[in-house]
Amino acid sequence: MGRNAIDRTEVEYRISRLHWLDHFREGWSIFIKNPLGKIGLGLLVLFGLMAACSYIPPLLDPMYRPMVGVDPEIASSVGPSLRHWLGTDFMGRDILSQLLAGARVAFMVGVSAAFMTVVLGTAIGMSAGYMGKSLDTLLMRLADMVMVMPTLLFVLMVSALFGQLDIWVIVLIIGLFRWPGVSRVIRAQTLSLKQRPFVEAARVAGAGHLRIIFRHIMPNVLPLAFLYMTFRVTSAITIEAALAFLGFGDPGTVSWGMMLQWVWRTGHMFKAPYWLLPPGICISLITLSFYMVGRAMDEVLDPRLRKEEEAS
Amino acid sequence: MDLWKFIVRRLIQVVVIFFVILTALFLLFRLAPGDPVERMVDPTMTPEDAQRLVKVLGLHEPLHTQYGVYLKNFVQGRFGTSFHYGQPVEDIIWEKLPNTILLFTTAIILSALTGIALGKIASWRKGSRVDTWLTIGSLATHTVFLPWLALILIWIFAYRLGWFPITGMISEEVWLDPDAGIWVKTLDVAHHMVLPLGTLFLIHFGSTLLVMRSSMLETLKEDYILTARAKGLTEKAIRNRHAAKNAALPVVTGVGLSLAFSINGGALTETVFTWPGIGRELVFAVSQSDYPLAQAAFLLIALVVLVSNVIVDVLYAYLDPRIRY
Repeated sequence: MGRNAIDRTEVEYRISRLHWLDHFREGWSIFIKNPLGKIGLGLLVLFGLMAACSYIPPLLDPMYRPMVGVDPEIASSVGPSLRHWLGTDFMGRDILSQLLAGARVAFMVGVSAAFMTVVLGTAIGMSAGYMGKSLDTLLMRLADMVMVMPTLLFVLMVSALFGQLDIWVIVLIIGLFRWPGVSRVIRAQTLSLKQRPFVEAARVAGAGHLRIIFRHIMPNVLPLAFLYMTFRVTSAITIEAALAFLGFGDPGTVSWGMMLQWVWRTGHMFKAPYWLLPPGICISLITLSFYMVGRAMDEVLDPRLRKEEEAS
Repeated sequence: MDLWKFIVRRLIQVVVIFFVILTALFLLFRLAPGDPVERMVDPTMTPEDAQRLVKVLGLHEPLHTQYGVYLKNFVQGRFGTSFHYGQPVEDIIWEKLPNTILLFTTAIILSALTGIALGKIASWRKGSRVDTWLTIGSLATHTVFLPWLALILIWIFAYRLGWFPITGMISEEVWLDPDAGIWVKTLDVAHHMVLPLGTLFLIHFGSTLLVMRSSMLETLKEDYILTARAKGLTEKAIRNRHAAKNAALPVVTGVGLSLAFSINGGALTETVFTWPGIGRELVFAVSQSDYPLAQAAFLLIALVVLVSNVIVDVLYAYLDPRIRY
């Protein structure tokens, strides 16, 4: 009899996996119908192309290397020309190649920090929700505490003490500080999943805690975690950009925030709109597109939101 | 008195959290590479002065005694001497704090009120052109990169059009003029405040609008709205008195949760506009390696965030009688 029950959960699991693919197709068709999702995804593809293209200019000519390449004939900021489509910065470096390299940095920082946040947030949220009791209280109080810390200012303090920070250290700190929001949502979801019949069935069938967590609860919270990842990408990109803008970024990396810092500190912001505008527009647009993709995904995951839109 | 119990509990929580932050900062400062004495004592001080400061801060003692001295000094409001200014840190901090509070609270309150009012309109006329534009506008202003927005505003309104001063909080010629009355001075500060306030306002009102809009849409589906309609109340009364009041509750929580995030924005705004506030002081202190000042500024900002969070929570509990913790 016990054997039977296990078989049944196994079958259920297989079915649910099939469903998962169907869900994905269904979700995708809803997602792509949403104008927000379409525009956001389109923009992201564009930024992805920018990041991919960032490898091309340095191959054409060493003066197009974003950080160290200097045009031998230009030693100051000059407006757009055929040779430099977006002009040059204060020491004759090509702005377009910096902008392309910036896209790469933005994706790298945003996605890796967000991934870390979400892994941490999901793990903590699931443990708190599933285990309950004192572990729950402890983890959630910790979340409260981390939540009120202004991340940017904390990274500033760390860089004051430890000197210029490597880009990966910055990513790590952002990851360590942005998980509480995710873990709260995941915890709530886990609490409700724990009461569902299929978890009960698995437990009666003799599944251990780890099996229940990984096989039955995790697949159900992952979509939500993924949704939060898109929102966390925006905040990670913004924090890195702000840090670089204030002059505490990784000096070996050309990010959009770094470019803005150069315009600002060298006093070119009134003289060189061709230099001031592109990085700011890029940061704002990439944040906006991740945000739009997140909102469109939100609608896929929360049918209530969808019905509301359809009714209108 | 449930509310009082709740307030006391939240306050105890704040004390505990702040204590942890204090301890974390203490450890960070002692564990970072380099000599903590060099970090807390100005290298240009005379040896006697330096000796005295080392004693006051307890830097010659073992770590656990230092910790005790550190806590005692904090409670008494002593943070050491700023390297850059050569003055006690606490004096500088108290001088800058009101400027930050003035800018920040005005921005938060203004953007919350505008966000609520516009979100109400957007949800009421859902699907109309007004709604679409308001939503797009708030999405765009919500995600724009703050320092860049500040630079653009300076470029357009201060540099090109010359309507507002480029930086600072006061003009010296007005404040040094003995004939200038309090009104002239207030106007001068307000004139300087328009652009930084505008920046913070633009960044914040969008999120409030979006939260208010979706919360209002949710509220409009409630039974009591149907009842209000059935009673024959005017649409305006339903919108303002029945729906909006209840829908505004999540906005309050939203403002509270995003406070830590907004304070980052506040520091950036102050830095770009050289507004003499505590956020700019922190950025400046970090870039100057003025450790005592940076430490105190950070602690104070953390404290402000914590206390405002409690205020928001209490406000929420007061506004919504269903919430009891």
